[in-house]
Amino acid sequence: MVLSSCRKYEAVPVETVTQDYIFDTKDSNGIYASQYLFSIYSSLPDIAGNRIGRDLLAAGSDDAVTSQSTAAPVTLLATNGITIFNNPDDAWSRSYNGIRMATNFLNNFSVVPLKNANEKRSWFGEARAMRAFFYWELVRRYGGVPLLGDSLKTLKDNIQIPRSSFGTCVNYIVSECNQAIDSLRDDPVIDANYGRFSKDGARALKARVLLFAASPLYNGGNTGDSLNGYTSYDANRWKLAADAAKEIISQDVYHLEPNFIDIFIIQRSNEVIFAKTNTLGRPIETNNGPINFATAPGAGNTSPTQELVNAFGMSNGLEINDPGSGYDSTNPYANRDPRLSYTVLYNGAQWLSTAIQTFNGGINRPGGSTVQTQTGYYLRKFMGDFKDQTSYQDHYHDAIYFRYAEVLLNYAEAMNEYSGPSEEIFTAVESIRKRAGLNPYTLDHSISKDSLRTIIHNERRKEFAFEEQRYWDIRRWKIAGKVYNSGPLHGISITPTINGLLYNVVPVLQSSFDESKMYFYPIPNTEVVTNAKMRQNPGW
Amino acid sequence: MNTINKVYKRINMKRIFLFISFLLLYMCFTCHLIAQTVKGTVKDASGPLASVSVIEKGVKNNGTATDKNGNFTITLKGNSKTLAVTRVGYAEQDVKVDNPSKALSVILQPNEQGLDQVVVVGYGTKKRVTNTGAVSTISGETIRRIPTSAVQNTLQGRVPGVFSVQRSGQPGKDASDFFIRGISSLNPDGNKPLIIVDDIEYTYEQLSQINVNEIESISILKDASTTAVYGIKGANGVLIVKTRRGSSGAPQVNVRVETGANSPTKVPKFLDAYQSASLANEALINDGLQPQFTQSQLDHYKSHDDPYVYPDVNWYDVVFKKASLQANTNIDISGGTDNVKYFISAGAFTQNGNLKNFSDPRNQGVDNDYFYHRYNFRSNLDIQATSSTKLRLDVSGRFGQINQPLFYPYTTANSIMSEIYNYQIITPYAAPVLNPNGTYAYAFGSNLSNVPTINARLATMGYTKNSRADFNVLFDVTQRFDFITKGLSADARVAYAGTNDITRTQSRTNNPPAFHYDSTGNYTLDKNGLYQLAPFALTGSNDLFDRRINLQGFINYDRIFGNSHFSGLALFNQETYVSKNGGALDVPQKLRGFTMKLDYDYQQKYLFDFNAAYNGSDRFGAGHRYGFFPAGSVGWNLAKEDFFKNTFPVFELFKLRASYGLVGSDAVIDNRYLYQQVYARGGYYYFGTNSNTTQGIYEGSLGNPDVTWEKARKTDVGLDINMLKDKIAISFDYFNEFRYDQLFYPGSIPNIIGIGLARQNLASVRNHGVEGSIKFQSRVGNVGYDITGVFSYAKNRIVYENEPTQVYPWLARTGHSINQPFGYTWIGFYTSQSDIDKSAKPNIDPGTIKPGDLKYKDLNGDGIIDERDEGPIGKPNIPNLSAGVTLGLHYKGLDLSILFQGAFDYSFQVTGIGIQPFQSQWQPIHELRWTEANAENAKFPRLSSDASSESSPTAYPSDFWLVNAMYVRMKTVELGYQFPKKWLPLKINNARFYFSGYNLLTWTNFKLYQQDPEVASNTVGDAYLNQRVLNIGLQIGL
Repeated sequence: MVLSSCRKYEAVPVETVTQDYIFDTKDSNGIYASQYLFSIYSSLPDIAGNRIGRDLLAAGSDDAVTSQSTAAPVTLLATNGITIFNNPDDAWSRSYNGIRMATNFLNNFSVVPLKNANEKRSWFGEARAMRAFFYWELVRRYGGVPLLGDSLKTLKDNIQIPRSSFGTCVNYIVSECNQAIDSLRDDPVIDANYGRFSKDGARALKARVLLFAASPLYNGGNTGDSLNGYTSYDANRWKLAADAAKEIISQDVYHLEPNFIDIFIIQRSNEVIFAKTNTLGRPIETNNGPINFATAPGAGNTSPTQELVNAFGMSNGLEINDPGSGYDSTNPYANRDPRLSYTVLYNGAQWLSTAIQTFNGGINRPGGSTVQTQTGYYLRKFMGDFKDQTSYQDHYHDAIYFRYAEVLLNYAEAMNEYSGPSEEIFTAVESIRKRAGLNPYTLDHSISKDSLRTIIHNERRKEFAFEEQRYWDIRRWKIAGKVYNSGPLHGISITPTINGLLYNVVPVLQSSFDESKMYFYPIPNTEVVTNAKMRQNPGW
Repeated sequence: MNTINKVYKRINMKRIFLFISFLLLYMCFTCHLIAQTVKGTVKDASGPLASVSVIEKGVKNNGTATDKNGNFTITLKGNSKTLAVTRVGYAEQDVKVDNPSKALSVILQPNEQGLDQVVVVGYGTKKRVTNTGAVSTISGETIRRIPTSAVQNTLQGRVPGVFSVQRSGQPGKDASDFFIRGISSLNPDGNKPLIIVDDIEYTYEQLSQINVNEIESISILKDASTTAVYGIKGANGVLIVKTRRGSSGAPQVNVRVETGANSPTKVPKFLDAYQSASLANEALINDGLQPQFTQSQLDHYKSHDDPYVYPDVNWYDVVFKKASLQANTNIDISGGTDNVKYFISAGAFTQNGNLKNFSDPRNQGVDNDYFYHRYNFRSNLDIQATSSTKLRLDVSGRFGQINQPLFYPYTTANSIMSEIYNYQIITPYAAPVLNPNGTYAYAFGSNLSNVPTINARLATMGYTKNSRADFNVLFDVTQRFDFITKGLSADARVAYAGTNDITRTQSRTNNPPAFHYDSTGNYTLDKNGLYQLAPFALTGSNDLFDRRINLQGFINYDRIFGNSHFSGLALFNQETYVSKNGGALDVPQKLRGFTMKLDYDYQQKYLFDFNAAYNGSDRFGAGHRYGFFPAGSVGWNLAKEDFFKNTFPVFELFKLRASYGLVGSDAVIDNRYLYQQVYARGGYYYFGTNSNTTQGIYEGSLGNPDVTWEKARKTDVGLDINMLKDKIAISFDYFNEFRYDQLFYPGSIPNIIGIGLARQNLASVRNHGVEGSIKFQSRVGNVGYDITGVFSYAKNRIVYENEPTQVYPWLARTGHSINQPFGYTWIGFYTSQSDIDKSAKPNIDPGTIKPGDLKYKDLNGDGIIDERDEGPIGKPNIPNLSAGVTLGLHYKGLDLSILFQGAFDYSFQVTGIGIQPFQSQWQPIHELRWTEANAENAKFPRLSSDASSESSPTAYPSDFWLVNAMYVRMKTVELGYQFPKKWLPLKINNARFYFSGYNLLTWTNFKLYQQDPEVASNTVGDAYLNQRVLNIGLQIGL
């Protein structure tokens, strides 16, 4: 036509990149293809950040509450507040976006003549593992979801796709993991490749998925609907989960980091199997550090609960309510499980060369309308070792998706459920307790399966606090109703008196959980109205 | 002849003089022997008229014009003995010369609505009698009388079919948003009318810079038959500005000097410290919290016994003056000969802001009040190069400066009103204006910002100044080709329009030192403060650079064959527009097309017009670029039919007309290249133990290869009437528009597709309405009067937007107007705890809902108030009905004109810092809160400090907060006095003194909200207050 018949001019900005650049048939280095792969990585969820409003996901569980005085999005998760329109932890579009990117890569990357064949295999494996990861993000929130396979949808395709059953989704994720394991790099990868999915990374994902699939919520516990779990119980699912964990243990590549605190400070500690790597920074400290440190400003957004603090036993390995534990309610933080002081900052804890003051009117809990701790505790986990510093310094904040301690506890839990207590299980659990610094760390090897289950559950809570485990664990164990509905969550109110400090446990948030629907998130309203084949989860 | 020669000598145009003299000499020699010389004077009611054309009927090329005293001399050569005396704006008068020796005295009657009234349409003009399209015109004369800087602001209530709302009164940024026949597109950029100045496209901003003194007329083209010539850009209606040009005659110098006072149309009232503190306490107690103030503090606030420790400051009064000045000076000179005609004008406009002067001696003279300065010039030249060749050169430029204070670090919008409204920045009791020792104070209190008071920051923090230059050139050659066939001509035109806009910002990097003075007499430095002023830092940016180059080639044909009048036009048009995109220039936008017009009328009785454009835009993919936009219209002037004339002799014009056609809109938002899928850089990842940064690239939204322009099918049926010797003129239109292929996001695609989607051509909207004007002009003895009524009604409805089937019908957007608000339906206040217990309520902590909170209707009956209960409430924020009545009166030299303008049928609401407790200052409306004692007459829910409480307008939008709004205002008034000629000294021909006013009085139905009714919903509190202007001026003609 006339416009094109005149002298050629730059019709579109030539600086824009099109698909031919990404999957370039002549680039033996695959520069743009690698950048495309990197952006799939960057779509992985940032679980180490205050990603829900100003809060960590843990503030939606019984481990913490938000410090905001007005309604915070995360509170909706702990108080039955989410709706089909509003879910602060919605992952639907984000995950399907990741799935599309990975599929696009898997479908088109083969044309890129990458010199190193092993590298090329691995890139395929990485995209495949990430796609499985995105599906997993969906399945644990919504149950079975539409599986798109390898097709990259356009507007001309039929996108009215029904949900697959929970079991089909699990099988798909597991088989995708298996394929990915086949082509991924061996562990340990070289330092430059830290942050990429490796064989054990995909194995750890598989182990976690299988553990969930075997757990009470899904394993016949959610009667009736195959979209939300298996319709009947099968003990063998525990075996599959245990075997998957065992596969990693038997590789013998990863080991527990001797010092608990180092896991989160030293980049690429011995224990990290797969993490989302991050730049140097101090976001955890500035978002969650105690308020009113002039040289180290913190927003104090996270308020750990008394429930979490009570979960930590004594350093002698006994629980605080054990008659012989030596727990002193007038000096409650003495001689506790050392992980307590690495997880929360309590009144009197050494921080930034001073003792934290979270007694009423203390410098870190002055009262008034400024955002500050609601419970008397601040977050300590993930932060650098700033006990004797006067300000925060940048350090690496990798979001750890899988670490060896989880593999051990996954194994212990699955094996205990499958076959009851055994020496292998005790070895796994005790190694965690030993690394934590408990003395003695050993357990009574004659305890029952139920007692061991309680110990494992509690060990997970303490070990993985704020690592986005507890929130999902109480769901898959199907105890969320009990956890959220058995009264309010608590904090500590500390009043200085002439006779010393007076500790009072006080309620801070009335949590609630509607067991008839809250075990699964609602499918977002837009999806239900746009897809005639989309079935909403029960109760929504 | 002597007189004419004198005139030419006076302006010293020697060469033209010689040329003309020769011409006249030649004419004299060819004179018929019976030549008779006739002298005369032409006047109107106020005095002699210059530049009136006086032509002898029946003789070719025998004509002259009156001089500045209204005198003319003409030598009759023919036999008709009749002179045709014409001047634009006056009814033509034929004067019979009975006795040539007796001087004639002709008095012309003004005529603004005769059958020959010129109507400017796209690429040409029409007459009222033969026009078949929907066009409204307003003369430059009329809009010059309105004391506002932006042309857009002058159309309200005067032109049927124009809907406009003035959202802000900030100097230099007060141009109204306006729409022609309401809005029809869901694409937010898709409702802007096309603006054409002298056949060249202008932007909104360029339009608001134009000096109204340069304007001859403004036309609004509304239906398909008039806008089809613009094809792909015509769907939103067209505003056409024609600038003034010179006409032959002696030079006329016109000077207008005016000055006026600006003051806000509405000054908000805030409660004093004692009232505010008491209400704050009440809110906190309502929430079960500790009151903030003790009784003794309250007593101090009440007694004002210690104004430094217990201040009570009305910050509005501290910051603002009662009024500020504006000034406008214009001078223009026009005139010419048969060969050269010119119009040259220059103008200067200044509008100051309303801030008091806080200048701090340490501030090195930076000016941090708002202001707007603008300088305009224009030179329009017409040159008759040969008998058949005409050249035209128009040059115009506009230079503007907008200054705004900066008050780091709070408001990026730098809106002074939002600071004053914002309770979290300042309160009446937070700080004294200055401490007892003269130092600056800061807002002191636990909930407060702790920033230095606003006067401290205004005094010291600097300014941002925006300098803008607009420059336009138009060159045109017209060649007549009568030798080929009579009435044929061609025209070539090239035009340039460019803008350059640069900002200069002087800001300090830190707040000024400020101290808190406490009851012990101690001064404490602001904890974030410094002891000295931080230095200024200069920053700036090139905000806008753009350039538009337009080439046009015309072929015109216009000829009368007996009873038939043909005219036609073919036009080639090509445009290139380049603007800045970030730091660099964007790819030029191209538009190219052909336009044609064919008009035919038979005895001005049967009228047929056909207009079409074939044009394209490079915003669409190859193969989807060019569209054909045809429109046709017909008219039937019954007044020319004998049967009608005999029955209803009172009608001079009774014209039925109808048009139908297709026009387009190529507005695409966000991304010009919707047809392309682009991979974007982003999504960084950090590999390896050193967290090496790697760049990511991700897939952008899916391309839409079929993307194309929006289309509108427009139907218009109209009636034009002139009756009782043009005393009454009526126009009435019904229109119905179907706007389809609108670019909108497909709502029916599930997100499992995993990627953003490009907008697609899928939405459609029906927009229909009526509009009309009626004007009556008459005179009783020496008193002339006129009444003009104008109304416009337009209502749109979304027909289709690819919306999925909602779970409940009331959630659907389809079927409602564009921008329909959605929210909860308010059904009263909770009266008691038992009322709360048994009512549906939101799923929040039940303890936070208390008597006096707002109760909402549970639309789906599930006992819970949530998003499923948010149905349509109220109306959009743009009025559906706009009307104006102008009253005019003139008696001898006195004239008076008053415009009442009103807008009806829209909704208005206030949220956030405009009204919510603990976000907004306490206002009189808060005193009408719900309390147990005031449950019956409550106008506001119980007070609460919780911004997201159940009664909050932001957390729970409801129709409680929506006012079904209307307003009527005395929009403009002008009272003028034309001095009698005999009073005028020196060489002054005429002089007029006038008073004019703008936004003088306002009646609204939502006084409690304390806002100007034209301010946009939800931004309330931020907007610079709309201004009332009281203006006096003097106009002198030489």
